[in-house]
Amino acid sequence: MSDRIMSASAALAEALHEEMARDETIFILGEDLTAHAGIFGQFKGIPEKFPGRILDTPISEACIAGCGVGSALTGMRPIVDFHFSDFVTCGMDEFCNQAAKIRYMFGGQVKLPMVVWCPDGAGLRAAAQHSQSLEAWFVHTPGLKVVVPSEPADVKGLMKAAIRDDDPVMFFQHKRLFRREGHVPADPEFIIPLGRAAVKRAGKDVSLLTYGSGFFLCMEAAGELAREGIEAEVVDLRTLKPLDMETVAASVKKTFRAVIVHEACLTGGFGAELAARIQAELFDHLDAPVLRVAAKDVPIPFSPPMEDFVLPKAADVIQAVKTVCYR
Amino acid sequence: MQMAIEISVPKLGLTMEDATLVCWKSAAGEMVKREQIVLVLETDKVTFEMPSPGDGLLHPVAAAGSRIEVSEVVGYLAVDKAELAKLAARHPAAETSAPAAAGKTPAGTTAAAVEPPAAPATAGGRAKASPVARVMAQAHGVDLSLIAGSGPGGRVVRADILKAIEKGAPARAVPAPAAAAGELLSAIQEIPIAGVRKVIFKNMHLSLATQAQLTLHTEASAAAMIQLRSRLNAAGAKVSYNALLVKVIAQALKQHPLVNAGVEGEVIKVWRQVHVGVAMDLGRGLIVPKVRNVDSKSIREISADIDRLAEAAKAGSLALDDLTFGTFTLTNLGAWDIDDFTPIVNHPESAILGVGRIVEKPVARDGQVVIEPRLALSLSFDHRIIDGAPGAAFLKTIKDMIEEPALML
Repeated sequence: MSDRIMSASAALAEALHEEMARDETIFILGEDLTAHAGIFGQFKGIPEKFPGRILDTPISEACIAGCGVGSALTGMRPIVDFHFSDFVTCGMDEFCNQAAKIRYMFGGQVKLPMVVWCPDGAGLRAAAQHSQSLEAWFVHTPGLKVVVPSEPADVKGLMKAAIRDDDPVMFFQHKRLFRREGHVPADPEFIIPLGRAAVKRAGKDVSLLTYGSGFFLCMEAAGELAREGIEAEVVDLRTLKPLDMETVAASVKKTFRAVIVHEACLTGGFGAELAARIQAELFDHLDAPVLRVAAKDVPIPFSPPMEDFVLPKAADVIQAVKTVCYR
Repeated sequence: MQMAIEISVPKLGLTMEDATLVCWKSAAGEMVKREQIVLVLETDKVTFEMPSPGDGLLHPVAAAGSRIEVSEVVGYLAVDKAELAKLAARHPAAETSAPAAAGKTPAGTTAAAVEPPAAPATAGGRAKASPVARVMAQAHGVDLSLIAGSGPGGRVVRADILKAIEKGAPARAVPAPAAAAGELLSAIQEIPIAGVRKVIFKNMHLSLATQAQLTLHTEASAAAMIQLRSRLNAAGAKVSYNALLVKVIAQALKQHPLVNAGVEGEVIKVWRQVHVGVAMDLGRGLIVPKVRNVDSKSIREISADIDRLAEAAKAGSLALDDLTFGTFTLTNLGAWDIDDFTPIVNHPESAILGVGRIVEKPVARDGQVVIEPRLALSLSFDHRIIDGAPGAAFLKTIKDMIEEPALML
């Protein structure tokens, strides 16, 4: 199958069109979906093609999340649009106390095939309440799966896998990457299984372990580093839970060094979890401490220069790599 | 303005890029005189005792055991104590392995940026090392406490272990355990494959692993060569058999230029120059210094060159350029009563002549048994590029020239 160049938004829409055509139990609910095809235009064509299967709700996140949980329990496959990932706080009981635990508490008698679509990330001058990266909260909740794609092909392949999964999946997609274009396979059965990372640039000197927007920082840094004779390997984790530790281990065993890069703030971020696992499982392979590159531990500022200052940059990645490479 | 004299690593040979600083011969703060040996360098081919470029108080900045690039500054010579103190403030000192000067090391030298191998951060404790460095040290029997770590705070990192293994690690003294009861095989000594041994180890294997080697044997009458040598010796300085043999090789190669060749990639290169290496073992392992451009040298010039190289080899002062870029090798085991043998080609050359002892033997000549001094000749060559017949023809030319030196004219 030949590849097409398309944006992440178009890749998402294509995944939804294909899956909704395949399985009529799939439907979308959220705020302001039909009038504008989603606030980012991500549901283009769906209201016309699948009338009645994309529903506008009142402005109540608890209600939206609760509807998702209930409909999933009763045989539907809902996709819950949360508008901004920041709003998950209003659906927290439904996601973490209900969705995450029901299958376990009913001894596996029910399943909960729900995708919670969470546009996240900073850089749009959207201030502290609309710019967060909150994936670590859900990684910390047993019972949820957590997906954070970077490139358009990953968005499509992982959304299809998330929809077909029988457990609740938190799907974080960075707002600033919606318009970013990339190759997307045309194969309608192109699916990226959850829990599989991808080595997107091979290198022998350091492993850059990343996901989401961090991936693009790492690719930029790797390009710069190559000019200075450091070959960085870029591992796009894609799914944080389940985590593909095998791919991480293979990379670190090759390079002896790891730098973890994410846009979420540093303390208690996913990098902390990954660093802990690396030191526990790969201790004898490390030639340097595992470093993390992340946003500073503050609310994301509204002021553009301050927002830029808080977010991690390729230069920070380069600096961390040089530190672990003793350069 | 700095008045101090810089001590930097000289380029000892064309292909030399770096060297290991084996040790300092003087302690920090000690007065060093011009031309006094101040430090010892080791490349993978030679050990070089470096004379001081001037007079002054020594301020070493590179630690013994570290890898130094050509022209890198490893230390300074200060004119007086005041300047020494200034230097110490600007460039953290490395410890020398020589004993400390009787006076007192100047202030500042304790703040060594690099952990000295002689007194590493381990004193009474544990060497700082990355986990992977620790595992590698264990696997290769490298003593971490003897390695100068290049990481922060003297941390030994993977690169340091790789370097240590490469140059022949300061291996942990392995106590020879008594053979346990019932043990069928146990070592009384474990010798690390390092330094010159490592070079020989690699080159010998590389030679047999890359070439298709074949050895031809023949024997020549040595009578004419003995006579020629005694006439030359009567007329001037002594000439060795090796010098005569190198001359024979030079003349024979003129008739068989394809033997003076090498393989580079997919191409056979027939060399313009003829540089004949003479294998020597003077107690420090096998080395093969080269006699340059033998095709344009007289026997006496060749003899003088060989004598000079042997002296330098004994003194450990061979230059890197004396050891590289050979095109053919002579190896002579006559001194050990050897006749025929199967020399291994000195890669990347393509042929080597092995010469045995001169020994009197009964030979049938014109229906009579006569006693004659005989000399065994063994030619190994790379059969990939030299066929059997041309190889044999070259050896025949050598034999003929030994038996009738006039053929060299």
